[in-house]
Amino acid sequence: MVEKIVEEMRPFFDPKAVAIIGATNKKGKVGNVIFENFKMNKERGIFKGNIYPVNPKLDEIEGYKVYKSVKELPDDTDLAVISIPAPFVPATMKDIAEKGIKSVIIITGGFGELGEEGKKLEREIYEIAKANGIRVIGPNCVGVYVPDTGVDTVFLPESKMDRPKSGPIAFVTQSGAFAAAMLDWAAGAGIGIGKMVSYGNKLDVDDADLMDYFIHDEGINVVTFYIEGVKDGRKFIEAAKRITKVKPVIALKSGRTEYGAKAASSHTGSLAGADTIYDAVFKQTGVIRAEDFEHMFDLAKAFAALKDKLPKGDRIGIITDGGGAGVMASDAVAKFGLKMADLSEETLKYLKENFPPHAVAGNPTDVVGDTDAERYRIAIEGFVNDPNVDAIVVIVLFQVPLLEEEKIIDILAEYQKKSNKPIVAVAMGGKKTDHYARILEDKGVPVYPTPERGVRALAGLVKYAEYLRRGA
Amino acid sequence: MKEEALKVIEEVLKSGRTSLVEYEAKQVLKAYGLPVPEEKLAKTLDEALKYAEEIGYPVAMKLMSPQILHKSDAKVVLLNIKTPEELKEKWEVIHENARKYRPDAEILGVLIAPMLKVGREIIIGVTEDPQFGHALMFGLGGIFVEVLKDVTFRIIPITERDARKMIQEIKSYPILAGARGEEPADIDAIVNLLLKVSELVDDLDDYIKEMDLNPVFVYEKGKGAVVVDARIIVKEPTEKKEEIITEYRERCA
Repeated sequence: MVEKIVEEMRPFFDPKAVAIIGATNKKGKVGNVIFENFKMNKERGIFKGNIYPVNPKLDEIEGYKVYKSVKELPDDTDLAVISIPAPFVPATMKDIAEKGIKSVIIITGGFGELGEEGKKLEREIYEIAKANGIRVIGPNCVGVYVPDTGVDTVFLPESKMDRPKSGPIAFVTQSGAFAAAMLDWAAGAGIGIGKMVSYGNKLDVDDADLMDYFIHDEGINVVTFYIEGVKDGRKFIEAAKRITKVKPVIALKSGRTEYGAKAASSHTGSLAGADTIYDAVFKQTGVIRAEDFEHMFDLAKAFAALKDKLPKGDRIGIITDGGGAGVMASDAVAKFGLKMADLSEETLKYLKENFPPHAVAGNPTDVVGDTDAERYRIAIEGFVNDPNVDAIVVIVLFQVPLLEEEKIIDILAEYQKKSNKPIVAVAMGGKKTDHYARILEDKGVPVYPTPERGVRALAGLVKYAEYLRRGA
Repeated sequence: MKEEALKVIEEVLKSGRTSLVEYEAKQVLKAYGLPVPEEKLAKTLDEALKYAEEIGYPVAMKLMSPQILHKSDAKVVLLNIKTPEELKEKWEVIHENARKYRPDAEILGVLIAPMLKVGREIIIGVTEDPQFGHALMFGLGGIFVEVLKDVTFRIIPITERDARKMIQEIKSYPILAGARGEEPADIDAIVNLLLKVSELVDDLDDYIKEMDLNPVFVYEKGKGAVVVDARIIVKEPTEKKEEIITEYRERCA
């Protein structure tokens, strides 16, 4: 049996036909950009559904028939995207209800966030939605982006904002501006996003609904949230507990600073700032809290690649071709609550026998600056076979002269594939390094620009693995 | 458990108060099996003398008044009373201090309590968060909470694992674990306290607004803990809101 939530959410991510209410031929207008997104994705063969622009004043847009009203729409319409002024939305919702469309994305702003009048409109919409079993994303949002199915309601044109490739990361955000900036950035950083949802005012679909949906989404390995606030805390907690047993959830919660001593008469009340409470919620539900934007995607990247080979413990092995980087990584291991693995006698013996005398067998193992890719292979082979090592950080400074870039990339990818221990790579450098890092990532090895960030991402894997083993 | 605790709370609400005095708060805690000292509320001096005899000298005296929530500020906690003569004398002093502090103070009685062996001080609290509901706090008492704010929270209800993690994650945990040759504290007793508070609040969540068990003395491993002072603030239970509009208001307020 398919879960109800999966049935309810499907049209948002893969509609048979989308109605774009407020579609227009005026370039740059929201209703135009959204229409163009769908049209373009249809032409590219990514969006497979039908596109029905709705606008009482137009007959056709760029060869597409325009419907005068929702009532005239063909019966296969299962998603409506609304970008008409707020005062007209309730009437349109009534038509949508009558038509039997069950999924609506309301892009339009000017609702609850603007005060009483807007709240009244929101209330009307909510009542219609509830009474007719309609699920609503928004209002006041940028909606949904799904590269695999071509759903793209992000009203920033491709000329202004790059779209990321597809990948196993879901990204959920309240803020539309944040959504846009993040997508653009992810595209630039080569990070794949499978589904992005910006839900704005969260009139209906909220974090908990999305968590319940993503449990069943096989294309998604890790769910990231940018959260400003939660409205139904209990629902959030229950849903979070359900999903974290199946896949990792990373949350970046803004508003970290205390909101001051509330009007609390007790000690406890005055100490319970909003942030402290969120910390508690995340700890109890196994949600991993990201410190900042960078941390969130460092973690997401690690989980996206390594969700199915989580470390069995917290003992880290470090391999490096630069001593300083090895020390930095060792410091980070301590800082993020991990342990340096004690290599077994056999491993040390194996390394010493196969290394030239000036390479350092140990943890960290330093293959030193005259290394070639084969010396890395020896080190990795030793670490992978050592029962005392749970996860491996391989620092590759591509700058050293004898290191064959393609070869070391292949070796890392090979061991990532055949070993059951997670491997993360650290590559510090500029443009040339970035180039190789990108290739390495495409082969399934997450790469970080500093030892600290690589180890911190690994610490997230260790923490989540521990949670799965023992509960929050 | 629930019935006994509710009886105390209903009585307090009936008298028009929402803040329980220490004695009442401890009755609620006792109903849930939390360790509170063997203490009695004396309405008269004769009762006080009788109770002190039963408990055994030395005793502590604490005046209970709904208007005096900060008892030490009002000097209505007198410790180490060694004889019946001293108790008689202090009975006058404690009432005089209360009148000086709040002339209108309604006096419910004087709590006659045994003098407790001092243990490591911890604090356990409960507050209601508007989004997530009741949250449980744990920390060491004194400067650790006042100055360093070294406390940790969980949403109620908690599991035993939550309780253990709470204790371990405060920075001052080594003090409980036994730093510098000190015997470790009774961690299991703290776990038990946290779980019982969680159970109590989960049961009475419609009534409880805030709670402070401060301080709680924790003794060495195997020797338990005792709630020295407690405050509970309650509220009239709210009716369950089911209408769409109300639900809307909650979501979109």
